[in-house]
Amino acid sequence: MSIVPADPLVQLETTCGTLLYELQIIWDEVGESDTERDKMLLELERECLEVYRRKVDQANKCRAQLRQAIADSEAELAAICSAMGERPVHIRQSDQNPGSLKAELRAILPQLDEMRKRKCERKNQFLEILEQIQKIKCEIYRSTGYPPANTVLDETDLSLRKLEELQTELQALQMEKSERLKKVLDRLNTLNSLCLVLGMDFKETVDEVHPSLGESEGTKNISNDTIEQLAAAIQRLREIKIQRMQRLQDLATSLLELWNLMDTPLEEQQIFQSVTANIAASEDETTEPNMLSVDFIKYVEAEVSRLEELKSSKMKELVLKKRFELEDICRKTHIIPESDSSLDVAIEAIESGAVDASSVLEQIELQISNIKEEAFCRKEILEKVEKWMAACEEECWLEEYNRDDNRYNAGRGAHLTLKRAEKARALVNKLPAMVEALASKITAWENERGTEFSYDGIRLLSMLEEYTILRQEKELERKRQRDQKKLQGQLITEQEALYGSKPSPMKCQSGKKGSRLSCGGGASNRRLSLGGTMLQTPKADLLQPTRATPNTRQAKKIERLHQNDHSNLLKDDGIASLSAGRRGLDIAGLPVKKSSFGESPMVRKPFSPISSTDSSKSNATNILEDLSRKHNDMLQKTLSSNNASFTTPSKIISAVEEENRTPKAKTIPVPATPATVSVPMQTAVTPALFAAPPSNSKPVDDIPEEIEYSFEERRAGFVLPNSSLKTTILV
Amino acid sequence: MTAPPQVTTGRELSSPPADGITNLRFSTHSDHLLVSSWDKSVRLYDASANAVRGEFMHGGAVLDCCFHDDSSGFSAGADNTVRRLVFNYGREDILGRHDAPVRCVEYSSATGQVITGSWDKTLKCWDPRGASGQDRTLLGTYTQPERVYSLSLVGNRLVVATAGRHVNVYDLRNMSQPEQRRESSLKYQTRCVRCYPNGTGYALSSVEGRVAMEFFDLSEAGQSKKYAFKCHRKSEAGRDIVYPVNSIAFHPIYGTFATGGCDGYVNVWDGNNKKRLYQYSKYPTSIAALSFSRDGKLLAVASSYTYEEGDKPHEPDAIFVRSVNEVEIKPKPKVLPNPST
Repeated sequence: MSIVPADPLVQLETTCGTLLYELQIIWDEVGESDTERDKMLLELERECLEVYRRKVDQANKCRAQLRQAIADSEAELAAICSAMGERPVHIRQSDQNPGSLKAELRAILPQLDEMRKRKCERKNQFLEILEQIQKIKCEIYRSTGYPPANTVLDETDLSLRKLEELQTELQALQMEKSERLKKVLDRLNTLNSLCLVLGMDFKETVDEVHPSLGESEGTKNISNDTIEQLAAAIQRLREIKIQRMQRLQDLATSLLELWNLMDTPLEEQQIFQSVTANIAASEDETTEPNMLSVDFIKYVEAEVSRLEELKSSKMKELVLKKRFELEDICRKTHIIPESDSSLDVAIEAIESGAVDASSVLEQIELQISNIKEEAFCRKEILEKVEKWMAACEEECWLEEYNRDDNRYNAGRGAHLTLKRAEKARALVNKLPAMVEALASKITAWENERGTEFSYDGIRLLSMLEEYTILRQEKELERKRQRDQKKLQGQLITEQEALYGSKPSPMKCQSGKKGSRLSCGGGASNRRLSLGGTMLQTPKADLLQPTRATPNTRQAKKIERLHQNDHSNLLKDDGIASLSAGRRGLDIAGLPVKKSSFGESPMVRKPFSPISSTDSSKSNATNILEDLSRKHNDMLQKTLSSNNASFTTPSKIISAVEEENRTPKAKTIPVPATPATVSVPMQTAVTPALFAAPPSNSKPVDDIPEEIEYSFEERRAGFVLPNSSLKTTILV
Repeated sequence: MTAPPQVTTGRELSSPPADGITNLRFSTHSDHLLVSSWDKSVRLYDASANAVRGEFMHGGAVLDCCFHDDSSGFSAGADNTVRRLVFNYGREDILGRHDAPVRCVEYSSATGQVITGSWDKTLKCWDPRGASGQDRTLLGTYTQPERVYSLSLVGNRLVVATAGRHVNVYDLRNMSQPEQRRESSLKYQTRCVRCYPNGTGYALSSVEGRVAMEFFDLSEAGQSKKYAFKCHRKSEAGRDIVYPVNSIAFHPIYGTFATGGCDGYVNVWDGNNKKRLYQYSKYPTSIAALSFSRDGKLLAVASSYTYEEGDKPHEPDAIFVRSVNEVEIKPKPKVLPNPST
């Protein structure tokens, strides 16, 4: 079937007409009745109508849908606009209807899309801001237990105004946050500086407050709680700081005091300059790191205590010095210091720390001034005493001089002694008057003061009395002697008449010398004979033997003689004691020469020859004298070292001595006592010496031997087969 | 060389004796060093190589040793025995015995005899060649006044120092009696005696820090040269501490000599000019023995406690070999007084 594309209706009509025509033809052919034909036609008509109605309905529905869509879009648009706070777009209200519904819808849809997009953007903005707000709030109120409220976005209000509101809120929050941060940093700074000054670990301190604070990077906790804790920590440290500062300042003050007191050198002070510089500083001014650390304070404390110790020792020194001064004055003025023991006690007390040294010092100074005063008023008398004593000494000298029979022998300096004697005689004549005057002066002094005038603890008056008594006695003695002499003279002349020969004076020189010495050197009666010249404090008496020079010199000489003698006796084993005695005598006769000889081997210089006489003799034959002499020297050396109470030179020497005990060398050190030999020598060299002690006359061989051993023998434990038990002990 | 050379003390030899060193001697043919010790050993060291070349263990402490030739030597034992040691084979023969420990041994190349001195107060001469049986080796026994402490040989002269400060001088060709009987001119026990290399005398040291220089010549002129000097002393706080002088060693060329004392010092002296030439820095403990090598270029020093203070803790025993500087040992002639001044 071919359809001609033309006007559809026309086409339709044509097709319907043709179809109808066709139908009529068919009908004609068929021969359908007209009624039938009408009926058919009616049905056709009805069916056609039905189709039309359905189509119209369909179209109508479509139109309604379209309208609905437009309305919906418009409504949405309006909602969005209102939410965004914008003026709604009234498209439909406008009079110019753009046309069909479809066009209208097409027009509205892009707008809607646009608005939707904008809304979405706006919403995102909101969300962003809200999120930030949330975060900040969270940071600020975190620890206070704010619920972590989720961001609730009110979709209905997305207007710019709301946005602005939120933004301002955000800004406010941000501001607060930065403020808090600043505060926290501020406090941390403060804390840090405090820690530095106090020598504490900053990180540790901060970690106690909140661990996040100590980290140099990363966010710091800025909650109220943290800030409060920081403040508390700062407060605490500040208190410690103030406390320590006070301590340090106290120390500084004492340091300064001590420096001033002891003139501490600047270099020493320099080290602690930082301490003293801060002495008046307020709390904020002390910023130097470690200035207030525990260690530093301890260090300063140590210095202070050191200085204090120094001070106390210096004080002690001072006290002792003052005490010596006091004693010195006392000695000079011959006053016995009264409170010796009390001073000792005081010094002990200082040492133990019971008493302040300064008070003791004051006390001593007071005593010194007292003593000085007293010394001043004693001065006049003391001067006189001095003169008197000098006169006494001269008197003593004169006495001795008078006893010397050779005094007029013209020797070197004889005229000087003569002159001295002359002067001394004049002085001695004045002595009684002097004593008298002194005595009266003393009595006057004593009356005035009501106390005794003591001289080194002894009443001066009594000393004077003693002296006068002694003098009288001496006078008497002298008179008696004179009488005796006269008598003797008579006797001699009588004898001369009888026998015709005049015996020479009996006294031998040495005897004279001895007597003179014993008289002059009698240390114990010196005090009496001199009327107190040598009179000192009891302590001084002990020292006198050493001061009485002539006496000691003699003693020394004699001692040396003993040594020579002694060693001789010991050494000459084969030689009889008699010869030993003679030898001793010889030596005694030539004291000077022998003593110098005794010295010489000791001072022999390295490489100096052994004396030539020795060497010439010490030949193939054994020369005893030579040997003995050498042993002499040796023994003398050892003996002198023993006698002079030196400690033995060394371990080795002593070892050597022990081991070198040859039979002769150290047989009997005790029996040959120097005392027995030396006693007669001290008074005079008399023939009595020949009668040597019997112990020496025994042959020395009898004495048990001690055998020397070398180091190797000792080590090997080697013992001579015939030696006694003694030697084994030695080994 | 294991030990680094030390400037101050010389090179210390490795593996020293374990106990006190009694003597050490350089060979006259090489730089070999023979060392005897209380540890019952005799050791042969090669001083230049710092190595032990041989070791002999005896039945008792060895008090002295000496070389025969470069390959053999002799030892004197505290077990009364005199031994001959052959280094190459490590063999030892007994030459003979004394009645007491043998203190010292010397070999006389002039007569080919071995001379030993003992605490049994005798001197014995031995012929080392007749090594079988004592009858054939023993040449003679000579009684001494006391225990023999030290021996020294020069040429045909033999000097014997004994206890009791006796000194006997023998002529080896006529040993029947001493050529000279002397007494030490020092007052204390003799420690060591050594003849001058030129054969004119001997030096003798005592336990009391002194050395005497003696001469054989008995004429007045000869004896006028003798003298003694102090050494090995320390002055401390005004007191002299005196140490025994254990050892003397003469330089083979210059005739100067070194002394070693219990103070641990080695001093070098010029006997003719009466001068001390040098003092080496202190050794750890007493100097027990000294020996110059044949050319005098080396000095062996035994630093070893010599029992002078009995049994006590002490530094370890050591042997130092030092090379000798000419300055330290060459005699310095006396400065003549300038006539112009």
